[in-house]
Amino acid sequence: MSSPPPSDPFALFRNWVSEWEKLVNQHGAELLAKPEVAQAMQQVSSAKLQVQAASDAQMAKLLGAANLPSKADIEALGTRLAGIEATLARIEVQLRGSAGAQPRKPKPARTRKPGD
Amino acid sequence: MASSPLALAAAEFERMIQRNLKGLDYFASPAPVLGASPKDVLIAQGPWRLYHYHPRVDEVYRAPVILVMATTNRGYIFDMVPGQSLVEFLLDRGYDVYMVDWEAPRREDSNLTMRNYVEDFVGGSVARVREESDEPDVSILGYCMGGVLSVLWAGLAPRPELKNLAVFTTPIDFKAMKQFQAWSDQRYFDVDRLVDTLGQAPADMLFSAFDMLRPGARVAANVRLFDNLWNDEFVKGHRMFDRWSSDVLPLAGEYFRETTKQLVWDNALMKGTMTVGGRAVDLANITCPFLHATAEHDHIVTTEASAPLIEMVGSADKEQVVLKGGHVSLVAGPNAVKRLWPKLDDWLGEKSV
Repeated sequence: MSSPPPSDPFALFRNWVSEWEKLVNQHGAELLAKPEVAQAMQQVSSAKLQVQAASDAQMAKLLGAANLPSKADIEALGTRLAGIEATLARIEVQLRGSAGAQPRKPKPARTRKPGD
Repeated sequence: MASSPLALAAAEFERMIQRNLKGLDYFASPAPVLGASPKDVLIAQGPWRLYHYHPRVDEVYRAPVILVMATTNRGYIFDMVPGQSLVEFLLDRGYDVYMVDWEAPRREDSNLTMRNYVEDFVGGSVARVREESDEPDVSILGYCMGGVLSVLWAGLAPRPELKNLAVFTTPIDFKAMKQFQAWSDQRYFDVDRLVDTLGQAPADMLFSAFDMLRPGARVAANVRLFDNLWNDEFVKGHRMFDRWSSDVLPLAGEYFRETTKQLVWDNALMKGTMTVGGRAVDLANITCPFLHATAEHDHIVTTEASAPLIEMVGSADKEQVVLKGGHVSLVAGPNAVKRLWPKLDDWLGEKSV
């Protein structure tokens, strides 16, 4: 592939984008991997988690006072539903096994050899 | 090709008009339909999915093939669109194809452990595929963390039911993943608090971590997209990969806790001290034909992180290939079509009878 003529500003711009990307990837990744940056990122995450835990607890109290289901109640329901789903899946498998009359879709022959 | 300044300016002007016309289409049109190869859902339990793809030929290889997807992303990277689908390629080449895929774990899935993922989901998929295909053994193709899960399952005990194991860009030396190490530094990263508070590793946190590996990539990709809005093929490719890379899944809390502590902090897989559900993993238990394909320019699983795996497996018939491409372009897109897929077919075909 021939290189673009030096007078082509669009090609120069595209090259510049590629160079900029390389530079940012290299130096940005190095910067973000510095221990002090990692520490700062984790401190922010930790603070967010604390706020979230506090707001979850507060919200649960408010919902309880309003006689509404909390997130934990909904999750408990979800767990029970998942149990029902699993039971249904097991029943489905058993039914499939016992339903000998049900026609199975034709399967291709397992006789293929390399080069076929 | 004309290269006078006038001709270049005219071509650029034409592209500018096309950009304006097609730019509106880009925002107004629906996202491309991905992962649309016809399939049956054999298992849908919690985050675990097992698909069986409909055969496209009348005669298939004896041993079925199970693709095992990484737990942070969706499996449609293997089934993008016709012509760029590894699933379709394998079906056309005569394989009976299954896939272990993932949905976002719900809050009630937060207690799923590494043992669940390895023994129940990977092991359970193998059992179900053997039952479905009436065949005693299967081949597994694992991608990234899907490769790790496959290797862990295969290393837990001798597995006569495993005919072949191929893994792509699978990390083994987690200490060599420098940036992930820095961000999950034990001194600052409190994985217990994260899991105990949220019940899972949130998708946006994982997405940011992947994004920060190449901080300039997203901006540059968007500039290139604007520059190439006139080019339908470019736009189609961009939309497919952008959608997939943004579609990051959260991870079940206990599974993330174990991954962080055992794999990232202790580097247990590399040290040979890895356990799953209290049972030791010994990669010498892997004795079937083994292929590890890695990418030359992989910025997520670097060569240093993936290279030691080949020496650690017990197989006599084992091969490592380093192909051009990056972490994603190794398995999907035009690069994969001409490099990994034919290599995989050559390797797997003769071993699948």
